[in-house]
Amino acid sequence: MKNLFKYFAVATVLFIASCTESFLDVNTNPNSLPTATPSYVFTNAENTTANIFVGGGTQGVNQMGEFWSGHWTQSSSYISNPIIFGYQFTNGDFNQWDPLYNNLEDFQFVIDNADANDQKYLKGPAKVMKAYIYQALVDMYGDVPYSEALKGVATLAPKFDNQKAIYENLIVSLDEAIVDLKANAFASAFTSSDIIFKGNTSKWVKFANSLKLRLLVHQSRIPGREGYITTELNKISTEGSGFITGEDVGSGGSGFYVATAGKINQIYGLWGYDANGGVLALARYNRPTKYLFDVLIAANDTFRLKRLAYAKGGENPSTPGKSTAAEIVSNYVGVPFGISSGYTAQASSYLGPSLIVKGEFNRPVILMTAAEIQFSLAEMKERFTGINIAGTSQSFYEEGVRQSFRTLGVADAAGKAAILLSSGIENSDWSASTNKLQAINLQKWIALTNFSGLEAWTEYRKSNLPNIPQSSLVTDSKRPVRIFYPNTETGSNSNASSAGTIDVFTTKIFWDID
Amino acid sequence: MKKLTLIIALVCLSVSFILAQRTITGKVTDPKGETFIGSNIQVKGTNIGTVTDIDGMYSIVVPDGSNTLIYSYTGYQTKEVQIGAANVMNVTLDEGVALQEIVVTATGIKKDAREIGYSFAKVGKEDIFNGRSPQLAQALSGKVAGLAVYNVNNSVDPQAKIVLRGYRSLTGNNDALVVVDGLQTTATVLSVINPNDIESVSILKGGQAATLYGSAGINGAIVITTKRGTAGKLKVNVSNTTNFEEISFLPDFQDKYGNGSHYANSFGSAGYKTDYLERLKDNWRPFENQQYGDAYNGETRIVGRVLEDGSQYNLPYAPIKDVRKNSFDRGVSNNSQLNFQGGSENSTYYLSAEHNTIHGIVPGDKSERNGARLAASSNYGKLQTGYNLSYVQANYDRTSSNFYSDMINTPAHVPLGDLRDWKNNKFANPNGYFNDYIAVPFFTKDNNRNNYKDANIQGNIELNYKVSSFLSFSNRIGVMNNSRTQKFRTGKFIHSDWAKNKAYVPEPWAYANDYDGINRAGTDILGSVTDRSTSENVVNDDLQAHLSKNIGSFENRLILGYNVYQRAAKLIQIGSNSVVVPDVYNVSNRQGELTGTEGNSLERKFGYYADLTTSYNKFITLNATFRNDNTSRFYKDYRPKNNWSYNYYGAALAFVLTEAMPSLTSNFINYIKLRASWNKNGNDNLPIYGLDLTYPNGAGFPYGTTVGLSVGDVLPDANLKPEFVTSKEVGAELRLWDRRITLDATAYNQQSKGQVITVKVPNSTGFPNLLINVGESKNWGYEADLKVALVQSTKLKWDIGIRYSYNDNKVVDLFPGVNSFQLADGFSYANTNVIKGERFPLLKTDGYVYAPDGSGRRLVNATSGYPLRNTTLLNRGGVLPRHIAGASTKFEYGNVALSVNFEYRGGNVIFSDIGRQMTFTGAGGWTANRDPHIFENSAILGADGKTVSDNNVQVREPEYGLWVDNYRLISENFVTPGWFIKMRDINLAYNLPRSVTSKIKFLEGGSISIFGRNLLTIIDKSNFYTDPEFSNVTDGGILNSLLNGTGLRNGVGLNTLDQTPPVRQYGFSINLSF
Repeated sequence: MKNLFKYFAVATVLFIASCTESFLDVNTNPNSLPTATPSYVFTNAENTTANIFVGGGTQGVNQMGEFWSGHWTQSSSYISNPIIFGYQFTNGDFNQWDPLYNNLEDFQFVIDNADANDQKYLKGPAKVMKAYIYQALVDMYGDVPYSEALKGVATLAPKFDNQKAIYENLIVSLDEAIVDLKANAFASAFTSSDIIFKGNTSKWVKFANSLKLRLLVHQSRIPGREGYITTELNKISTEGSGFITGEDVGSGGSGFYVATAGKINQIYGLWGYDANGGVLALARYNRPTKYLFDVLIAANDTFRLKRLAYAKGGENPSTPGKSTAAEIVSNYVGVPFGISSGYTAQASSYLGPSLIVKGEFNRPVILMTAAEIQFSLAEMKERFTGINIAGTSQSFYEEGVRQSFRTLGVADAAGKAAILLSSGIENSDWSASTNKLQAINLQKWIALTNFSGLEAWTEYRKSNLPNIPQSSLVTDSKRPVRIFYPNTETGSNSNASSAGTIDVFTTKIFWDID
Repeated sequence: MKKLTLIIALVCLSVSFILAQRTITGKVTDPKGETFIGSNIQVKGTNIGTVTDIDGMYSIVVPDGSNTLIYSYTGYQTKEVQIGAANVMNVTLDEGVALQEIVVTATGIKKDAREIGYSFAKVGKEDIFNGRSPQLAQALSGKVAGLAVYNVNNSVDPQAKIVLRGYRSLTGNNDALVVVDGLQTTATVLSVINPNDIESVSILKGGQAATLYGSAGINGAIVITTKRGTAGKLKVNVSNTTNFEEISFLPDFQDKYGNGSHYANSFGSAGYKTDYLERLKDNWRPFENQQYGDAYNGETRIVGRVLEDGSQYNLPYAPIKDVRKNSFDRGVSNNSQLNFQGGSENSTYYLSAEHNTIHGIVPGDKSERNGARLAASSNYGKLQTGYNLSYVQANYDRTSSNFYSDMINTPAHVPLGDLRDWKNNKFANPNGYFNDYIAVPFFTKDNNRNNYKDANIQGNIELNYKVSSFLSFSNRIGVMNNSRTQKFRTGKFIHSDWAKNKAYVPEPWAYANDYDGINRAGTDILGSVTDRSTSENVVNDDLQAHLSKNIGSFENRLILGYNVYQRAAKLIQIGSNSVVVPDVYNVSNRQGELTGTEGNSLERKFGYYADLTTSYNKFITLNATFRNDNTSRFYKDYRPKNNWSYNYYGAALAFVLTEAMPSLTSNFINYIKLRASWNKNGNDNLPIYGLDLTYPNGAGFPYGTTVGLSVGDVLPDANLKPEFVTSKEVGAELRLWDRRITLDATAYNQQSKGQVITVKVPNSTGFPNLLINVGESKNWGYEADLKVALVQSTKLKWDIGIRYSYNDNKVVDLFPGVNSFQLADGFSYANTNVIKGERFPLLKTDGYVYAPDGSGRRLVNATSGYPLRNTTLLNRGGVLPRHIAGASTKFEYGNVALSVNFEYRGGNVIFSDIGRQMTFTGAGGWTANRDPHIFENSAILGADGKTVSDNNVQVREPEYGLWVDNYRLISENFVTPGWFIKMRDINLAYNLPRSVTSKIKFLEGGSISIFGRNLLTIIDKSNFYTDPEFSNVTDGGILNSLLNGTGLRNGVGLNTLDQTPPVRQYGFSINLSF
């Protein structure tokens, strides 16, 4: 027994002695990486931007815009959503803020670490994407943290910058991005990390210019802004790279998306089909509005109608891209905006083949359409005289319509567009339109359908056109002109109060002058 | 050779034991001649003992060489009597002066209760066993002041969160530590341990008591001591318990209106009908899940559509009584126990086996637990050894669907009970079931299963070596290993083309805008399978040196200790989102990619501690503790030592006033003890690997060959270090009226500064969360525990006990600039929050807009008459109960014993999402007013924003729009006081009298009992929804909780339909010993 005790004692002493610092050295995370190469972060950040814009369900960025710009509403097979269609939302709803700032942080990481990792070529694209996101944030929230944002612990309560100043600064930061882009070509081994332009920096420069155009066109109704806008547009003209033309800016696409849950185009995977081609319950949610159909049918614009929507009953699963019902005008049943009864899913039209075709899970998510750029140029040329960019408001307008037909997938797009452009119909045929700005507005509104909901809502707030009917759930004429700062930010950022009291019906974004 | 000697010696010993033992019998009485039931008789120097029976009689086998018997009874002086020649020894015990009660405290240290300077509670096996709960956590509910058990649900694998003295940490762990036989384990043990194996449970409520466990004990500890066996001849105990459970209550249902939704033309559109009865008729549809159709009238109507074979399901349009309740089963569970114990002078053993089966109230849900435990002790002179080994295997088969929710979605005239057999009943099959949106609940539950199997092994070895009378060493090493294999599966179901496109509503029930095909059938179920395996392994070693030396009137004891702890956990999961061949649930039977996750964690700690106890003349005792802890959670080789190695300490003083001043003692005042303690405890409350900012895969990545990473969402501060909690406590214990009244009262206060918390910082910083030492919280309360032996005669005993505790907390400070943040659980419209200057967690919801005149009237829209919804979420109150009270009574008369425990909790609010859901479906009883009316207690705000006028506007579309589009969105409607009173358990036992047992030769004793749990529940009258005790506290994700070893999160106060409904349980039990 004594011996046993001795062994025991010796073993114990050894045991205690073994417990030194090195015993504790097991604190390296085996589950997640401790560091990241900027190119990997960049790929995810691009994809995340696309997903935030088109994903997020009924309260997502694009969806919210598609609803509030009068493109889409819901079928009455789903319970009516008073948050969206009755405007009964709180600061807990429509939180686009948190995911977008989270996304911005990833781009900021790329900008901050690109040089050290010898990936300088990522700085320019990351700056362009930052501007793209900030523009959206301002368009939804007005004043937002900008100059002090994304600094982590260094600034825990970033101040809210003036929205107009942010807009101006975005132009400056896009100029910087262009300088970076021109100086640093992508290393050939890393072009695939860019899922938007595959490392084509000249297209990035064009996208930067297109974004600048978007920022400027939003401000075009602000009195006294003509000089600034003209100067900035002429700088783009001097720079010389031009705009994105003849193609849409899209993220992902074939070669990127995989036919697996969570790895497919988010629009397709949210409102269309699952990865295995099974139709999703939410395919029965979104409906094109009656107003949209009325506008198209009035102009006899059935080519685009059939691409924007499927006839009632939806897509025929055995002939993807075609409707189950005959594709005749009477089978295109749009739903009055916000109506809560009488329009069941099967009895009304589905989102169309321009957005969802069974099996086509790997289309790119569109971040900006070519048509939008052309209509913006048309509006600029129509409004202001001193712009050096070659072309006329009519030529830009007509190219916009042609691009809209192309993006929607109308066969023989140019030919079919020509029919509309020479139809003699007001707001379709340039020459027949009495108010050119209204024609541009209406065609842009149609062209943005299905792809750029937020942009459409912005244009609507800016111009109060077209005359979208009020939601049938609402008893007065008030419509939201912005969304609330999310309670996640107001609860934790003491500077949030500097933005003042927010009334979502009256606190307008700076470019919304009436 | 040595071994042989030992064996021979043992054999000789046992031989002599058999030959020379003798039996002593007798009676134990008090000075008045009243007999004692259950007084202890022990052979001195051995573990051999017995107790007196109902008549005060005893019989004990005394081995040769023993010559003294010790007689004891609570409240009476212990007496040692020499064994003489006579075999009958009748003994009288005098009333006690000083009662010595030995309790088990931290790290298994046994202490005299008089010496303890902090609040302490012990729950004996009788109390644990009272309601025959197969789960320990539930058995403790209401039995200890300051202890709250939060039940998540009543499934066949109930989960619970045990919190002592409320919340202290804002975002970290607030759960009590679970200790089994001195070994730190995790909450895992609570669901696997056999309550029958428990000898006692000590509750160390404050951080003070747990200083010696290190940081893990900062929230108090549940110290479980299992049975070790008692010396004496072999005793065999067999018991069987059968338990039934049924729903105790369901939410308030309306049974006036059948299925329908908003089909009538909307207000403002062409064809809008002004007569609400017409609109109600238009709203009716045979395939609706919502219940906003016209009033039940008893006529025959179709349910659903015409099936492919032409058949129609025609039913009376009339509610069926209790249709929802009857879709649940009556649960049955059975528990069989077998244990053996016995031993000799030098060794004891205890062996138990358990078989427990549960069939839950959700049809088809079942679980099974089989376990065995072996405990033994053996003494070899100066070396004492103890062994403990248990193995528990449990199987669970549950649905992963939300049966409760699906059931509530069914209108009251559909006889769900007839639709159980979805395979053979065409109206119950997904191709034929009426409901367009929700498949028959019985199909969904069968098609979505969660099967898992736990294997839990625990063991420890304890060695005690007594070097001399003043020095001994002990070492205890323990291991706990838990492994779980789990499979989630969803069956494949392809709907028929008829169901998808052709099923139609026949005349006369068809409406113009109806469509053919079942909406739900449009989406086929492709099936899925996920296979998960997790393991958790804890190793713990405690080495102690015990020194004791008396110097003059000072009794001194010093314990020097050393503790090593290691915990490892692992999770591997693979899955597929499709199943190719139906009913084959293997991930290889798939199309598309595999999904998968891996998680690993390893943490280590070691600590040194000292515990000094000094008593002066037995009436004043000072206990001082010190500990140095070293933790891997804060360790990095480049970090300064004081970031991962930290000291803490405390002192407790116990003063027995009645011993210091015996003159105070009287017939009424028997004993007064005062106590005070102060502690500063360190805590490594940091998520595992929390020091690293990580770059996880972006959502969905990798996409094929494309890699994408993201900057992590939690930014750790570079200077993170352990947090400290200062606790202060004072208390008193009184024994009065011949020790028949015991009163224990405590006041405490805890202050926690520089907490390691995950602060929700503005997202505009780029990081949603910051992990940093900030924040200060206060937590204080009072506890009182009163026990009264009202009647204490030999035939009749009646005890009552009352416990009350008050606990509150406050967020004193957060990060500069941060005034509040939301906890992780909750909804966008109702969530729990941490707010500076308030209690936490605090419930915030949206709500009504109230008239500015202070009248409490709710503002409505002047046109539609609908209530307005406030656009900001407002505080509704704290979700933790401030008041917890328990009451118990125990009544024994002859062979019959009756005991009852009650619990009250209150002073909190809860949000019931069930209310919102049932407003949506129209099932809720509160939605029954569908006649035109003016919204109750309402007013209209004038154009100036100040003046208020009476509301005369009838709500638009009261038959639908009011409820679904308006009332439902106002979350304030579903906030109710969270108080309840429950009869936790009741037990009526009948002990077989000696006259019966003596006739059956081998039978030593037996009892029959009937019992119930939660037979009675009283809740607030505004709570139409569910048991306020339930909480949707999530586990923070399996990966997170497993790797960190933490239980459920802090967000109590939110109920959802994820819980099964509350149940009451009752049953009977037979217990025989041989």
